[in-house]
Amino acid sequence: MVELEFVRTYDAPRQLVWEAWTDPDQMAQWWGPRGVTTPRESIELDLRPGGRIAFDMVDDATGARYPNSGTFLEVEPPARLVWSDDGFADGSGKGTATVTFAEVDASTTALTVHLVADFSDTVRAGAERGWGTQLDKLADYLA
Amino acid sequence: MSAAVDADVLSVTFGALADPTRRTMLSRLTKGDATVNELAGLFPAISLQAVSKHLKVLERAGLVTRGRNAQRRPAHLRAAPLVDVSAWLEHYRQFYEGSLDRLGEHLAQLQSRAAQPPTDPEGS
Repeated sequence: MVELEFVRTYDAPRQLVWEAWTDPDQMAQWWGPRGVTTPRESIELDLRPGGRIAFDMVDDATGARYPNSGTFLEVEPPARLVWSDDGFADGSGKGTATVTFAEVDASTTALTVHLVADFSDTVRAGAERGWGTQLDKLADYLA
Repeated sequence: MSAAVDADVLSVTFGALADPTRRTMLSRLTKGDATVNELAGLFPAISLQAVSKHLKVLERAGLVTRGRNAQRRPAHLRAAPLVDVSAWLEHYRQFYEGSLDRLGEHLAQLQSRAAQPPTDPEGS
């Protein structure tokens, strides 16, 4: 099991940030890095503990479609969202994502995304690319 | 890089990286090999014994190999486990950094729309 955490502060009220994460119409507009689209019709968010979360990510360049699914474990609007990720078809990549929405003030929200996962196959695939300058970047990251 | 990687190996690597002293030691080793004494020089407040212990953790995680010269046994950074960690970090960092950037843009757009309701250009 390995972990990764992201922290961002947004100039937006907490309720607005919560809705951006939990409204499928909005999620379709921003989920995924540039070059990846999450089609609205593929998004399923059953916002309750035990409810299903599912969405496809489509690589704009190749059209390749990557289905994702999982189960909500905690749904505490507008503060906390936890879901388990089913991982990839081969059973790898299973894990848990925890997103917390903290109110800094009425118009500022601190967002934390915490991932705990087994991404061994992803790592194996990524490692094939070779590492080149990545070690330097990692050293900077760790410093 | 075709060595099989499993979650346990990654756990050991992450465990070894979890300590700031060990991360500083690794950063130093990216610049070249170093003896225990040289590494200990980085940490005036830490005993040579403790530094040696940290080095053993890094060795067990496969992050460091030791030279054969019995006197000096310089520590040498071994990149392979870092490659795996680095690949993992890169993949998910790209995904979430990209998504969270777009979320920021989305929120900014929402709010500018709310602040400036669409005006009727015809004035009717």
